[in-house]
Amino acid sequence: MSDTTFLPVPTRAQARTGRGQAGGRHRAGYAFVAVYLVLLILFGVLPTAYAVYLAFTKAAGRRVSVGPVSFAQWAGLSNFFTTGRDFRFLPAFEHIAVYLAIWLVVLVVLVLALALLLHGGVRRTVPFFRFLFYLPGALAGSASVLVWAFMLDPDISPWHFALSRLHYSSMPQTIAPGHLPVIFAVIAFWTGAGGWIVVMNGALNNISDEVIDSAKIDGANAWQLAVRIKLPLIKRWVVFMLILAFAAGTQLFVEPQLLGAASLGMVSPTWSPNQLAYYLATQNGNFNYAAAISVDLLIVGLMAATLLVFRSKLFQLD
Amino acid sequence: MKDNSTSRRRALLGRPRRLFNTLAATGLAVSMATVGANIAIAPAQASSAPIVVWVDAARVPQVKAWEKANPSVKIDLVTFDGGDNGSGSIESKVSLFNRVGHGWPDIVFSGEANDVQKLGTPPFNFPAVLNQGGLLPKGLLKGYAAGTLADCYIGGKLECLRNDVAFDVLWVNVALMKQFGYTVPTTWQQWQAIGEDVAKNHPGYIVGSIGDDFDDEIYLQAAQCPINDEIKPYTILDNPADANCTGMASLLDPLQADGALSPSYVFASTYGKQYGVSSSFPNGHVLMMPGPAWYSGAIFCGTCELGELKGTVAAYPPLHWAASPRTYTGDVGGGLWIMSSHTKDPQAVANVLVGLATSTVSQNLSQGYPGYIPAAKSWIALQDASGFWATPLAPAFATAVSEVWSGWTETPWDTIGIWTDSVLPNLTAGDSVSSQLPVLGAAISNYAQSDGFTVVTKP
Repeated sequence: MSDTTFLPVPTRAQARTGRGQAGGRHRAGYAFVAVYLVLLILFGVLPTAYAVYLAFTKAAGRRVSVGPVSFAQWAGLSNFFTTGRDFRFLPAFEHIAVYLAIWLVVLVVLVLALALLLHGGVRRTVPFFRFLFYLPGALAGSASVLVWAFMLDPDISPWHFALSRLHYSSMPQTIAPGHLPVIFAVIAFWTGAGGWIVVMNGALNNISDEVIDSAKIDGANAWQLAVRIKLPLIKRWVVFMLILAFAAGTQLFVEPQLLGAASLGMVSPTWSPNQLAYYLATQNGNFNYAAAISVDLLIVGLMAATLLVFRSKLFQLD
Repeated sequence: MKDNSTSRRRALLGRPRRLFNTLAATGLAVSMATVGANIAIAPAQASSAPIVVWVDAARVPQVKAWEKANPSVKIDLVTFDGGDNGSGSIESKVSLFNRVGHGWPDIVFSGEANDVQKLGTPPFNFPAVLNQGGLLPKGLLKGYAAGTLADCYIGGKLECLRNDVAFDVLWVNVALMKQFGYTVPTTWQQWQAIGEDVAKNHPGYIVGSIGDDFDDEIYLQAAQCPINDEIKPYTILDNPADANCTGMASLLDPLQADGALSPSYVFASTYGKQYGVSSSFPNGHVLMMPGPAWYSGAIFCGTCELGELKGTVAAYPPLHWAASPRTYTGDVGGGLWIMSSHTKDPQAVANVLVGLATSTVSQNLSQGYPGYIPAAKSWIALQDASGFWATPLAPAFATAVSEVWSGWTETPWDTIGIWTDSVLPNLTAGDSVSSQLPVLGAAISNYAQSDGFTVVTKP
């Protein structure tokens, strides 16, 4: 006996409403996207355009008038060269490179490991652990840095026994310059991993049970199931996570800035490139130099995103 | 299959992409138009509006006291961090206000001694010039001791008034000195000898600190180390290899190594617990400490974290470098009162400024020794009348106020911030002070050149 499923043939009336419903769904989608688009333009596109304008114009000097509007003088690439030669520029990028190396590896490995563990876990406990992982991410960035400022000070930390094992008896010892990339990676992981675990868990849940069941029938153990079946199927999500984590990582600001304030200045105010841009804008009053560094970061982020998107064919539909 | 996917993609992305492109183009056009537009400088508030005064938490009592004594003047008090520890809050805000053309406060208190040197230059151009236009009462400036207003001058223009003077003196716990049988030293070399003896015979006690942000201005400035000396406009003498610098550093090295100098900073959260009065140390751990005058209100007072007991602490005149003909000392900060150049009614604001900086009703509540001499006399009388100090503060303070070495210039960059992030982490890691002199010199040189100064190693 053939196992055919009979699909109900839509009547003309139904077809009309069907199309209307589909059109209505599309309209609702556009409405949601439009709200986001407005915010994206106001707080993303316009400031970026302004920064690009500032990066290629001079801070002082003659202004060129075109009707009622005046523009600053064209500076070519001089802002980029001047900031590139600043004695704090290379160290800042070195710091962020080390930080990214640690942060991205830790993020990908641990988030995937925890998401896979969650996915394979006992059904009843999964929501509890998911909530637990997500909880630190609910804190605003600055609040989590303050929590860590307490945890890193051996004099007041509840983990002082762990810190003393590492021979740190005072805050300045804990935040010695060589430790900073690791400290910031730990803070960033603590705040950010939870959200990504939830996302990866969702991606894993999208894998149809049939695939997993047939793999188990074929004799795959848990490890092979994870590495050979599940991971390749969520590859696009991993790439997505890498792009966003890379962009966020290059723009590190809150952690070094607040730790600097908490330690009364023992973390350099220009540790990260974003801090250097902020410093040049506010301490030297030179918004054009700051814009040049911001455009540098934008280019780095775009290059990484482009590379990842094309290598993994992220936007290609199957 | 391929055709299907391409056409599906185009169908999915086509319309929104056109919409997006249009929006983006409009957005760019709008932003181009607005950013270039000349922003008219909005007029400052009308004279009947309250005078906006920004101070840090420690100065609030001073402003409130002055307000109470002058009820006819409306003041809008705003608290902020005072620019402490090189936070640069004033510079950040002024940059932004300059950009939009309005919002400047009328009076700002800064805890950073170099803030006027920074704010008075382009692109900030914030402070009002006080010594022209008859803004100040006649003869007011004569009421300041020589050199105490040096940080306020740019060229010949006076751009702030001092709140307090922060010369360094030698703080001494006379009870402990008597207990151990030491005489109070008069030279740095004698001070070092006592420190070595303390480390050997009385471990746990300290004769100073090497963990603070501002140690360069306690030790190196007192030694006349030419590492931040503006010998000509826009030229800095920066020679960390000078005998004065290396001499002081070699004096400090053994004390740092054997623990006679505390590696912690005085504002650490557990400083009181570590070095204050306790059952096993009934007079605390601090035998002596070279430090600024404002330690009287911040470190050694009765209610401060060290919990020093009444009648045990006194201030002695600054230590003298044995080979030098006269005594020099450092100074660590001291607040500045700055008036905005954008106020609508400069005379009214100047009157408030003068009141806050020089009136006894305000200065009696100052945390440090007032810069204005008549107010200082009143302040020191109150301190000594309290009976807290073992001997009156007045003699030591009166000596020290004129001994500050002027060769450590306040410049647009902050030497305290540079010491903190370039040198202090290495000192914490165990490096000697001598090894850090070249590091400090190089860092100062970088910042100076970045700010457009020329750096020389010989005058």
